[in-house]
Amino acid sequence: MNWNELLLRIRALILRKRVEQELDEELQFHLEMEARKNAAAGVREGEAALLARIRFGGFQQVKEECRAIRGTQLIETVLQDIRYALKSFRRSPTFMLTVVGTIALGLGLNTALFTIFNAYVLRPLSVRDPYSLYSFTWIDRAGEGHAFSWREFESFRKDKPAFTETVAVQFLYAHVNGHPLMGELVTGNYFQVLGGSVALGRTLLPTDCSAPGREAVIVLSYRAWQDKFGGDPNVVGKKLWLHGYPLEVVGVAKQGFNGVGDVPREYWAPITMASQLEDGPDLFGPDHPNAMSWILGRLKPGSSVSQAKAALTGWSQQMTADLADSEKATGVILQSRATAISVTPEAVAFFSPIAAAFGLVLLLACANVANMMLARAMARQREIGIRLSLGAGRRRLIRQLLTESILLAIPAGLAGFVISQATVQLSLRLMFATMPSDFAEFITTLPMPADARVFVFMLAASLVSAVLFGLAPAIQATRNNVMLAARGEFTTDVRPARLRNMLVVGQITASVLLLICSGVLIRGADRMRNFAIGFRTHGVIIMGIGEKLRTSVIARLRSEPMVEMVAAAGSTPLNGMLPSVSVSTAAGETVPSAWYNHVSPEYFSLLEIPILRGRNFTGDEARSRAPLAIISEATARRLWPNADAVGQEIRIQHDPHTNWGEQLPQHAAVRVIGVARDIVTCSIPWGKDPSLLYFPITPASARSSLLIRVKGNVEPTCRRLDAELAVMAPGAVEEIHPLDQYFAGGIYPFRAASWVGSALGGLALVLTLSGIYGVLSYLVTQRSKEIGIRIALGATTRGVTRLVLQQSMRLATMGIGLGAMLSLGVSRLLGSHLVFMNTFDLLAYGGGVLLVASACLAAAYFPSRRAARINPIETLRYD
Amino acid sequence: MQQASRLDLLQGTLDLLILRTLQSGQALHGWAISERIQQISQDVLRVNQGSLYPALHRLEHQGWIRAEWGVSELGRRARFYCLTASGRRQLNVETQNWGRLTAAIGRVLEMA
Repeated sequence: MNWNELLLRIRALILRKRVEQELDEELQFHLEMEARKNAAAGVREGEAALLARIRFGGFQQVKEECRAIRGTQLIETVLQDIRYALKSFRRSPTFMLTVVGTIALGLGLNTALFTIFNAYVLRPLSVRDPYSLYSFTWIDRAGEGHAFSWREFESFRKDKPAFTETVAVQFLYAHVNGHPLMGELVTGNYFQVLGGSVALGRTLLPTDCSAPGREAVIVLSYRAWQDKFGGDPNVVGKKLWLHGYPLEVVGVAKQGFNGVGDVPREYWAPITMASQLEDGPDLFGPDHPNAMSWILGRLKPGSSVSQAKAALTGWSQQMTADLADSEKATGVILQSRATAISVTPEAVAFFSPIAAAFGLVLLLACANVANMMLARAMARQREIGIRLSLGAGRRRLIRQLLTESILLAIPAGLAGFVISQATVQLSLRLMFATMPSDFAEFITTLPMPADARVFVFMLAASLVSAVLFGLAPAIQATRNNVMLAARGEFTTDVRPARLRNMLVVGQITASVLLLICSGVLIRGADRMRNFAIGFRTHGVIIMGIGEKLRTSVIARLRSEPMVEMVAAAGSTPLNGMLPSVSVSTAAGETVPSAWYNHVSPEYFSLLEIPILRGRNFTGDEARSRAPLAIISEATARRLWPNADAVGQEIRIQHDPHTNWGEQLPQHAAVRVIGVARDIVTCSIPWGKDPSLLYFPITPASARSSLLIRVKGNVEPTCRRLDAELAVMAPGAVEEIHPLDQYFAGGIYPFRAASWVGSALGGLALVLTLSGIYGVLSYLVTQRSKEIGIRIALGATTRGVTRLVLQQSMRLATMGIGLGAMLSLGVSRLLGSHLVFMNTFDLLAYGGGVLLVASACLAAAYFPSRRAARINPIETLRYD
Repeated sequence: MQQASRLDLLQGTLDLLILRTLQSGQALHGWAISERIQQISQDVLRVNQGSLYPALHRLEHQGWIRAEWGVSELGRRARFYCLTASGRRQLNVETQNWGRLTAAIGRVLEMA
């Protein structure tokens, strides 16, 4: 198309009327000239014009051909359709608002979910060139990833098997000024590699990592500076106590720089400080502790992921050639770090059921609207029939009906966008408001902006839903038989009933599915909350402390009148983590990965865990760390199914993958002196520990957390102790929480999931309700003639009501049956992952089914009443 | 009948004839173009008036002719067409093509 043509087309579009007029004038002029010529040749006045017309041919066809040349027909018909649709909307504003509202709700919820998904999975991190960032580790025979030692990292950096730039990162949690801080120990090139700059002071520099123990500096994130240090403009130069070690704040990163990963990082310190901060073996000493939790780097330009993987595999095998077979590298994990959460199968598996539940609501909304559109299209069948018989193309009619749908979807999309933003904000607020307070401190969310991806998603979703709710009714409505329409019969087509019934059954199915599943979730969360975890959480404070000031902290606690008792544990209960070893008996019974914990003798009485047989550790045994163990009932049953466990011997084999932060068992063989009742040490959703061994320690033992039972109200005491210890022993307290909060935090995600599920289920129910109501009302109107005849022939009110109710109940039964069956599958899936989810929860199933059934009945009741009130004389006179 | 001796135009030759008619530089309206073709061909070629206007509009869209409103010889408003520079080039190309085509057909007819 050249410029000339484009200009002509634009002119034809803008000056449509004038161009039309000109065409008419031009052709009329021609006819006149021709007529004049004929007249001059002697033809009579009237015949001259006629002859001209005959010679000219079809006047309208010529016009149409000329219009086709303009190439604006498509746009013109679209504009025409839009004008037509707007006119019909103006005639029925309620219909329009209902459609827009319903779709907006569905779109809004889905866009909200997408906004969150986008923030975590799709949106690139605000670092330089995020798409070339990869993390690397090798895996061994058992599929376990490797944490690198400093020496390994150094050779990686030197050999450069696949990366041009390399950073070592270790996550480190800290408790500073009464707040938790999630940060990282990193190599000095971290900020250069990621292109991070600062708002205040300076970044970390390679010189900060020039030697072990250098430099005692820290850079805060912008958000941590704002939220946890009140945006103090003089923060640079101040000292922060991290794990009992003072670090000087040298800078605040620029706003939006949150490091790499799904949890926004709040500080960065040199990795050369690892030994000082973690009381661990010297990173650079002969022990070679594995401290680098991961290696981050930039892929060599031009190198593909598979090439890089091959190079890394070769390097890893070479590095592990001298190690035992179980520690040799068998493969590598090379993961893109462009976004907060990498798109891994696990991430997809996590998001897809949630997306499915939300998508189901949108589908329900579409089904509802499709039904409404169908009813409307049927009501317009007379008009459509006339247009068809006048020669309107079916394609053209479908296009016009689809234009209407798209015109409805656009405002719905815009409204949905507003709803989505409100939903995201509201749910974040609700989440923080309903979360246990100590738990909330740990949760930091990524920013969730509505960027271009969200807009594109919303646009695509609105268009897809427009086609979903518009296409089927359009096809159905224009299926009209021209012959029937010409005879004036517009309502004999019964086929739409099938489509409508399918839509209603689908809706009922979906709402049953959503309601039953959220019922199962609610009941599971409830059972979890009321579940006897086997010990008393109330009145207990959990405290993690650094080693340097351990003795003075314990002394201070023992002298505190509010403190009743102090115990120690290697792993605090309900923390979600327990180390494991392989244990076996002389008889050959083996538990390959038995959980274990190191506890002081007070642990059992403090948490009120009864020792069922045998005895507790004595103080002397604890101090000498005697080769003794107390085991849980479940462990005793597994190791000695037919004998008393007390007095027996257990052989212990270390698991090479145990983190170096964990305490390892001190002895290769221990004697069982007691059997304790089963409790939940690890994590509530997983239920009671399937196996657990206790080894003795005292509160003075390194790497143990303290459990403190206090008198009276635990919260104020907890805060007071934290404040007092911060003055007396700065940085000594690494973590301090009431144990109740751990408990509440552990079940919170399930409660939240059940709330979201119920909200979706409730919404689905409302949509279904209005869907059934709409369809039945329409059916009653459509069948009014038939019902009128029935009444005239003597059908009773009750009979007519039953007729309508029966029709709806048939649909309801089908939908409920299908929904319940699908729920079985889904809740089975839930149950297979979580101990507390009962696949066959009768109450959840019964409740869900009953709710939907009564909703269907209620929705059908009013139309059935209306049917019963039909006046036979009026309806029979109608046609 | 007189009409029996007239020939309908070959497909695609109407464009060429319109362009050729306008070559003189004089702006003509549609009716005049059809008359001119008929006259010059000594009434042998009959322009299908129904296809004349779509052809004119097509040529205008291709930028080979330009249309302007003017006053006709009878004092009425009429749409006048004249050749553009690119139209002149197009005329040359099409004239050559036509020459080649007729020569080729002539040769075939002579040979047969």
